Amino acid sequence: MTTPAGDNIIEARGLTKRFHGFSAVSGVDLDVRRHSIHALIGPNGAGKTTFFNLITKVLQPSEGTIRFNGEDITDESPARVARRGIVRSFQISAIFPRMTVAENVRIALQRPTGVSFRFWQSERTLSLLESRVDELLDAVGLLPLRDQTAAGLPYGRKRALELATTLALEPELLLLDEPTSGLGGEDVERISALIRQVAANRTILMVEHNLSVVARLADKITVLARGKVLAEGPYSDVSTDPRVIEAYIGGDE
Amino acid sequence: MSGLSVRDLQGWYGESQALHGMNFEVARGEVVTLLGRNGAGKTTTLRAIMGLLRKRSGEVRFGGENLIGRMPEYIARRGIAYCPEERGIFASLTVEENLFLPPVVAEGGMALDDIYTLFPNIAERRNSQGTKLSGGEQQMLAIARILRTGATLLLLDEPTEGLAPVIVQQIGTVIRKLKERGFTVLLVEQNVRFASRLADRHYVVEHGTVIDTLTAADVAGDFERIQNYLKV
Amino acid sequence: MMTLLGISPQLLFGQVLIGLINGVFYAMMSLGVAIIFGMLRIGNFVHGAQYMLGAFGAWYLMHLPDLFPGLGLPSLGYWWALILVPLAVGAIGAIMERLFIRRVYDLEHAYGLLLTVGLAMVIEGLFNVGYGAAGQQYDIPGSLRGGVNLGFMFLPNYRLWVIVAGISVCIATWYTIERTRLGAYLRAATENPDLVRAFGINVPRMLMLTYAFGVGLAGLAGVMAAPIYQVSPQMGQSIIITIFAVVVIGGMGSISGAIFTGLMLGMIEGLTKVFWPQASTTVIFVIMAIVLVFRPAGLFGKETVAAHAADMSTARPDGILENGRLWLVILGIGGAVLPFLVYPVFGMKILCLALFACAYNLIFGYVGLLAFGHAAFYGSSAYVAAYTAASWGFPTELAILSGVAMATLIGALFGWLAIRRQGLYFAMITLALAQLVYFYAIQAPWTHGEDGIQSVPRGYLFGFIDLSQPLNMYYFVLTVFLIGFAAIYRIVRSPFGQVLKSIRENEPRAVSLGYSTDRFKLIAFTLSAMLAGLAGGTKAIVFQIASLADLYFMTSADALLMTLIGGVGTLLGPVVGAVIVVTMQKEFATLGSWVIVVQGSAFVLCVLFLRKGVVGTLEDWLAARAERRRIASGGAPAPVAKGVHS
Repeated sequence: MTTPAGDNIIEARGLTKRFHGFSAVSGVDLDVRRHSIHALIGPNGAGKTTFFNLITKVLQPSEGTIRFNGEDITDESPARVARRGIVRSFQISAIFPRMTVAENVRIALQRPTGVSFRFWQSERTLSLLESRVDELLDAVGLLPLRDQTAAGLPYGRKRALELATTLALEPELLLLDEPTSGLGGEDVERISALIRQVAANRTILMVEHNLSVVARLADKITVLARGKVLAEGPYSDVSTDPRVIEAYIGGDE
Repeated sequence: MSGLSVRDLQGWYGESQALHGMNFEVARGEVVTLLGRNGAGKTTTLRAIMGLLRKRSGEVRFGGENLIGRMPEYIARRGIAYCPEERGIFASLTVEENLFLPPVVAEGGMALDDIYTLFPNIAERRNSQGTKLSGGEQQMLAIARILRTGATLLLLDEPTEGLAPVIVQQIGTVIRKLKERGFTVLLVEQNVRFASRLADRHYVVEHGTVIDTLTAADVAGDFERIQNYLKV
Repeated sequence: MMTLLGISPQLLFGQVLIGLINGVFYAMMSLGVAIIFGMLRIGNFVHGAQYMLGAFGAWYLMHLPDLFPGLGLPSLGYWWALILVPLAVGAIGAIMERLFIRRVYDLEHAYGLLLTVGLAMVIEGLFNVGYGAAGQQYDIPGSLRGGVNLGFMFLPNYRLWVIVAGISVCIATWYTIERTRLGAYLRAATENPDLVRAFGINVPRMLMLTYAFGVGLAGLAGVMAAPIYQVSPQMGQSIIITIFAVVVIGGMGSISGAIFTGLMLGMIEGLTKVFWPQASTTVIFVIMAIVLVFRPAGLFGKETVAAHAADMSTARPDGILENGRLWLVILGIGGAVLPFLVYPVFGMKILCLALFACAYNLIFGYVGLLAFGHAAFYGSSAYVAAYTAASWGFPTELAILSGVAMATLIGALFGWLAIRRQGLYFAMITLALAQLVYFYAIQAPWTHGEDGIQSVPRGYLFGFIDLSQPLNMYYFVLTVFLIGFAAIYRIVRSPFGQVLKSIRENEPRAVSLGYSTDRFKLIAFTLSAMLAGLAGGTKAIVFQIASLADLYFMTSADALLMTLIGGVGTLLGPVVGAVIVVTMQKEFATLGSWVIVVQGSAFVLCVLFLRKGVVGTLEDWLAARAERRRIASGGAPAPVAKGVHS
């Protein structure tokens, strides 16, 4: 583990991403405090998902730098960034559909063990991981379904499985891309509770549309609009900020 | 009436259900908005009407005909034109090529000169590449190109999104002029203030259903009510 | 007259001219392939066959009175052909689109390629049946005979005409697409077909017409080629792989790029013929490899969003047909009995090809990469094993191991190059790289060209088991097969295999979990090449020959076909597929070229109706039966895992 450099786990400076001359994200500075839940909100097209893709290096920024624990990660590959401990979830549930629920989690647990290139060993050597698999599945309420094929799970359960898989990597920074999108009321409650539960000793950066979820969970909120930071602060401040209201509801003509 | 009538419209993205039974009407010549937060299902509703969302059920009647199960090209030829949220300006086409792309589906479309009068910027930049335009110009072009076709119902998805206030104002003027010309407009908006000055009626959408209906008079009398649905 | 670097200008300009003419054909063909790929996302492998149809079409028109005596038809010459044939070939293209190609738009890219490979085999096979390998003569039209003397060289009029007409057609096509309203529809539909449909444009019909147009271009190229090259059933086969390489080099981004790349590569090929004749057949493929290292997206290609590995596997992992330990024993016993039921040679052929198909399945089925050049590994190993055994007197086992080492080495190199691109490109690149090896083998002295390396001694295994005894040889091959089969089972069911599975099912997610997926894919590819080499080396010893056929792309297609018929990504599929294909080849052997037609039809039918293959279908049936029984005995219905692309 790298030694924490200050209180910020992520420091983005002047982050910009241009597509065909159009700036989806322009000059964003963002600090994410260690052990906080930080939410990114904003109207459609504000650049939230692009920002996420920049942090996880799925996209290469046109300008700007990203520091993680004080180290510059701007030019690293997505897999390298993941190995550093920045792990993301996806807007559409990202599972391995034809693997069992347990295998889904195990594939994540397997990665830090360093045995993944061993093509000459039986997969039974992975049985060491089973107890941890069960712990994680239990935490998200999926233990009874461990041997089912993931594709057969209901949508809400798939999101839970994705979260368990993500947690298996013990990420220092967890990026959640709309964790409650497409879920019904009950599932939203379950996933929110889960997020709060896993936030202990961890940092979470989330994009979320459901504002009641954001209001309840987030310590700090950054509002993006047109690719720029519009406002930042706790929910009570942000929700009464006239600029934010204007961005959401529209200003005077 | 021969406008648009949507009954119990349900729609899915894969297994995730996005529309849970939308019900609303747009009479001929009206401007009607669908208001709601991000992810409420407004865009999905337009896509479902247009047939771009394949997995859908319920009833979408236009001119008396149910369009559920029809292909997008068929629906367009019944006289519905669509201006998508991301504007859909084709990067490899010039402004003029973009403008002439949608085929004429009925008589009575706007003449090119009228369109250029309505959008002077577009006329000036007719030979540039589509994506060289600013965001506002792209939005104007996206609206302009569906006016030629003779379609009578326009589906406009968040035309003000990400645009500076002065441009928003211009777009408001355009929509008002379109109404005067007799177009029927179904507008998806988050910008309530913008919408409230244009529309005859508002449907508030949440979780893929219509949760409230407000007339222009309701909004004028009690702006708080609508703001409460949408505020941060 | 001056000489340049000791080369006479006549030779130099003559070759540049020939190169330019080839370049014109490359440009016209790759233009069609690029347009079709851009709009339909189909790698049109049948393009070569359609070009051949064009040439034959011209020949037919010329010979109408001979073909239909008594009808009093006139002989229609070149100029008629120039108009009628592209229209006819385009119409055939439209029918093909309607009947076949349309059905695979919504499927993985791989199926489009497989389907067009099958169609190409059917068409070329049919012409082979009718006309054999011999070419037909097509005379230069009278008005274009003769030539101009340019002082330094003699320029035949027909060649001048081809250059001018070909380039004009390319420019007209470019103009139509880039500058006209019709082209605007095309460009828009390439960018965002959904929105174009929402404007009321019938995109499905546009796709059909686009395909017909691209194919018509190939037909036109065929007519223009008829007086220059011999009109033969093989003329399309050799050009299509080069065209794919041209397309990879140019990138799919731009129409003008495709034209320019085609012309340029033709000329480079011509120049190479002057300065280093032996390299002229391979130079395009070498350029492709270099371009891939420095500009993976191609010279004119735009930055593309990375496509990901595709899950085409049809296996049900916990089914009885996927139990490797059980089947290792059953195959061992079955294999031991086999030589008493069929000729050992036939049994050995099945075993070698089954191992080859299993090796191929490792990359295609278990990783989801559509490799199309496994002949390179199979063949190079066969050559090295044959050479070391025949010329250096290596003992049998060492000869095979040398072959395996060569296959592994080439596999690692090709994998390293090809992994940069995915989806259809991956197939095109592996195909082109394999063709490089094929052309090398034609040229190199030690491979003995068309003859191949013959009379390879079977030798003595470990110095004392006489392999010239058929049964000894057979049981050795069986052992090799079982070792290979077990190795693949182990690889698939290892920690490494788990990662492969995750890559196949959801590559972006595997990356987000921290796996550098390219590295896993490369290792899997190399292992697959190694095992394909084991099959090829063994085959060289069994049949005592290594020949060009082992390296020919049809051998790669065989591996694909066996895997597809048996069931992609299933344990037993490749074995079952090998049995079916080898039996089929044997049964139809007396029918000559019909074998190709039958195999091509098998491809087409599998893609359209049996995508799960024999074993995959059987596994589905077994699973459904088990589920029915479970419910009948009072169990609750389990949520059924969704089938692949159902």
